[in-house]
Amino acid sequence: MTDSYDGPILEIDSLSISFFTRLREIPAVMDFSVKVMPGEAVGLVGESGCGKSTVALGVMRDLGRNGHIVGGSIKFKGQDLGAMSPDALRNIRGSEIAMIYQEPMASLNPAMKVGKQLMEVPMIHRGSSEKEAHARALQVVKDVKLPDPDRILDAYPHQLSGGQQQRIVIAMALMAEPSLLILDEPTTALDVTVEAAVVDLVKELGKKYGTSMLFISHNLGLVLETCDRICVMYSGEAVERGSIKDVFDEMQHPYTQALFRSIPLPGADKNARPLRAIPGNFPLPHERPPGCNFGPRCDYFEAGRCDATEIPMADVPGNDRHATRCLRFQEIDWNAPLGKDLQTARSEPGDVVLKMDNLKKYYEVAANVLFGKRGDTKVVKANETLSFEARESETLAIVGESGCGKSTFAKVLMGLETATDGQILLDNRNIESTSIQDRDTQTIADVQMVFQNPFDTLNPSMGVGRQIIRALEVFGIGNSEAERRQRMLELLDLVKLPREFAERMPRQLSGGQKQRVGIARAFAGNARIVVADEPVSALDVSVQAAVTDLLMEIQREQKTTLLFISHDLSIVRYLSDRVMVMYLGHVVELGTTEQVFAPPYHPYTEALLSAVPIADTRVQKRHIVLEGDIPSAMDPPSGCPFQTRCRWKSRVPGNLCEQEVPPMRQMGNGHQIKCHLSDRELAEMEPVIQIAAE
Amino acid sequence: MEPLSWFEIITRVLWQFIPVWIALIAVFVLSIRYKRRLGLYGKLFDSTIGMIGFALVMFWVFTGIFGAMDLIVTHDALSQVSGMKNEPPGTPLMSPDDGQYPYYLFGGDNLARDVFSRMIKGAWVVVQIAPLATIFAFMVGITLGLPAGFYGGRLDTFLSFLANLILAFPVILLFYLLVTPEIVATGIPNYMAVVLFIFPIVFIAVLLNSRYRTQPRVRTPLLIVVLGILGWLYLSLISESGSKVSVIPDFLDLFNVPGGILVVFVSVVFVNSPTVFRIVRGLALDIKTRDYVAAAQTRGEGAWYIMLWEILPNARGPLIVDLCLRIGYTTILLGTLGFFGLGLPPESPDWGTTINDGRRLLQIYLHPALVPALSLLSMVLGLNLLADGLREESLRD
Repeated sequence: MTDSYDGPILEIDSLSISFFTRLREIPAVMDFSVKVMPGEAVGLVGESGCGKSTVALGVMRDLGRNGHIVGGSIKFKGQDLGAMSPDALRNIRGSEIAMIYQEPMASLNPAMKVGKQLMEVPMIHRGSSEKEAHARALQVVKDVKLPDPDRILDAYPHQLSGGQQQRIVIAMALMAEPSLLILDEPTTALDVTVEAAVVDLVKELGKKYGTSMLFISHNLGLVLETCDRICVMYSGEAVERGSIKDVFDEMQHPYTQALFRSIPLPGADKNARPLRAIPGNFPLPHERPPGCNFGPRCDYFEAGRCDATEIPMADVPGNDRHATRCLRFQEIDWNAPLGKDLQTARSEPGDVVLKMDNLKKYYEVAANVLFGKRGDTKVVKANETLSFEARESETLAIVGESGCGKSTFAKVLMGLETATDGQILLDNRNIESTSIQDRDTQTIADVQMVFQNPFDTLNPSMGVGRQIIRALEVFGIGNSEAERRQRMLELLDLVKLPREFAERMPRQLSGGQKQRVGIARAFAGNARIVVADEPVSALDVSVQAAVTDLLMEIQREQKTTLLFISHDLSIVRYLSDRVMVMYLGHVVELGTTEQVFAPPYHPYTEALLSAVPIADTRVQKRHIVLEGDIPSAMDPPSGCPFQTRCRWKSRVPGNLCEQEVPPMRQMGNGHQIKCHLSDRELAEMEPVIQIAAE
Repeated sequence: MEPLSWFEIITRVLWQFIPVWIALIAVFVLSIRYKRRLGLYGKLFDSTIGMIGFALVMFWVFTGIFGAMDLIVTHDALSQVSGMKNEPPGTPLMSPDDGQYPYYLFGGDNLARDVFSRMIKGAWVVVQIAPLATIFAFMVGITLGLPAGFYGGRLDTFLSFLANLILAFPVILLFYLLVTPEIVATGIPNYMAVVLFIFPIVFIAVLLNSRYRTQPRVRTPLLIVVLGILGWLYLSLISESGSKVSVIPDFLDLFNVPGGILVVFVSVVFVNSPTVFRIVRGLALDIKTRDYVAAAQTRGEGAWYIMLWEILPNARGPLIVDLCLRIGYTTILLGTLGFFGLGLPPESPDWGTTINDGRRLLQIYLHPALVPALSLLSMVLGLNLLADGLREESLRD
């Protein structure tokens, strides 16, 4: 190999990729250029469908039967990948260019031990002996900081947690010491604290091995933390590229600007400084407008100029390798403040609607399903002593990672499960042991839910209007089919969908539109309490803002109590009035948003705050990385649930953390923390996030 | 008259099939024209395999229908013409009456009946029984498979065990048992029919009730009318004067299904439903974890609404493919039953019986067995290709 080569590792020059379906040619990537220098990490950012993953697959020349490169070139270390034979490509893949995919479980062979899969790489590419390969595998597993490497090598993928699996995938990619690593949303499937640790690892290993990286993500914050340069894509084109600092602080393309305005950065507030969703919809690949693709959604659009010709990339004078695909970038005043016209009055919380008192939910898991009548049953404590109250038109955020018990809590509240102990009071009526079959229609209509996955929330074989009408039928609203139809159309108006959508099938809707239908369905019976289970986490950032604002607006109008379940602290800070942090079934901290986001913190809240990537160069974060994974709820640690990962544990005398579950301590003004740390220690905590003075 | 040459035989056969060709061309032209609006059925016309399969299947369906209307057949399927016994294809009749077709196009069988006409009449038997029996099997499988997958637990364990038990039972032995006169005399096939045919009624009743439960004013009359009609059909179907199950008087009995056909129905449903049950159960296990099922639960929908309106429609893809394959199996099963002389009357023109008739003289006269055998083969092949095409096209987009 040409190891003495010192030009760009990867050079993509006006690449165009199209997919050919039975109807038409669909251009997925057009005129895309990017350069990755040795040791450099380049972030590729854009919404889903913008072609960022297609670029990665194009580099790997793995476009499937329908995809073809129709123009431009991809050069790897000066060699044109397009001109290579399949054999030569196979040599390069895995050894020179490695790829890490989004879903770790799908990238590992479930029928093969981890060690064997790792050893395959050097054995195939370098003809190493089994012994050398094993030594190398052990070394790499140590490098990715997995505990007990020998045991891991001897394990099957399903025996590892998601975070560990992703580390193995990274280890596999590094086995052959590639010159280029392509990471396609490598942490999207992971929890935030695990994500933070994996990102940290990738950064460190990149430095150690001197690997160049192409980092594909939709998360601007993550790119800020990991990359040196960034390339923003929109609808198949690169619209802006440059160094992180140039693009984040001196953006020169309206789309980049709109993108930043639609994500909740510190300082955004649902009343005083609401998010700005990008108007309109992402154009379908075969319905792109003439001229600038972003034109129809752009605030600075100038008819006759922006839609006249193809727009080339233009260099921004004064900055290093900073280019933008905008004709007007030198005319636009990029620092003009946002219009203040969108402010709304803060709504005051009303009476207590929902009250939880010492709610407990335990599951009994039989060790042996078939003959498990007696003997070995394990108790899983999914919810442990949950107490809180929620008021009218208040937003209570429930924050926690997977396995923290937030979904179980939602199930118990909805009546899909009954509580083991404790009380749920809805308007002072006990509903904790009434399952949904026994609840009266009014109670059911009062407590409704918005689901997480937009692609799963609607029945794919039933029309949109029909599904809403069905909810109206069940809730006993309207006396005739015509009345219900009218009400259904009003609900579509409420969620700002055109009335024609009533006749459409769910597959004809985009993710954000489906989520709106889900919201309309939840509000069909004038719900008073809506549980929103990560309603926007599966949506693109620009759509997230629109759906979030819609929820807020309906809440303001209908005085709904919103229980907002999420792991994304940025959005929680933006929209919630109070925050409840959960870990392994316990509420570890509860208070108003200001109280939870400022010290004193619970140690877990502190780590969670530090883990969330923030797309703002002014923000300085303290760096706290949690060791290990979330313990299994089947086998929780003794004492405090968080003690296995807590960095403050040594400050508590007498090994108290391992012996006793800490009491809920009142910190004043309703702020509660479940921790053994002394008042003095808590008072000494420093804020995690600080915005540097401008 | 001279016997016909092979070229003349083929031309005359093709000419006889004129109504079928017209119908086939009409179906294809219309379907290809509007294929973008026809969903999965339309997509079928993008796949060559699927189109060939569909053409073969529709050929036999139209042949069966037009044959029953006496359009294609040249002679009566049961009447014998003297001197035509075991004559080769293309033999002219010795003394044709006025208006009688002057040739046996595919020759005569050992009872001097026209092989060509019997083949066409045989298609009608298959086209009538196979899809209907398979659909009954599907209804039984679905009605049991959905709750097994949805509820899980003991019900699932019990029903799955029962399905495995039936699958472990030798099929041919079961058929022999069912048609043995002693067993028929005890009324066991009739009782089995009573049980198996109640499932479609339960299925439709639950389907409608769960959908309209919130509007009693629509639901109650609808259920009374539909269940009334279905109940009458059901009673007519199972009741037969003289047999063990004779519950309604003859003047109310709409139709009498010959005992043999009933046995065929019962055995086909009995043998196929456990497999369908397992497919449906697996699909239900998968689909019940979706959010739209949770959404239905959180608005207080009943279990049967969720099973029939939320889960079942979304399981339709694999089920349609399996239906096509299973109609093919049932066709083979009908052939097997006819071959063993089980169920269907001995003079019946169905393909299995005719193959068996022709088998005895196979070494001397090939044509009486070969014609129905090739028909059976092409129809099952068509159904399998159709299933392949559907599966392939439903995965593509």
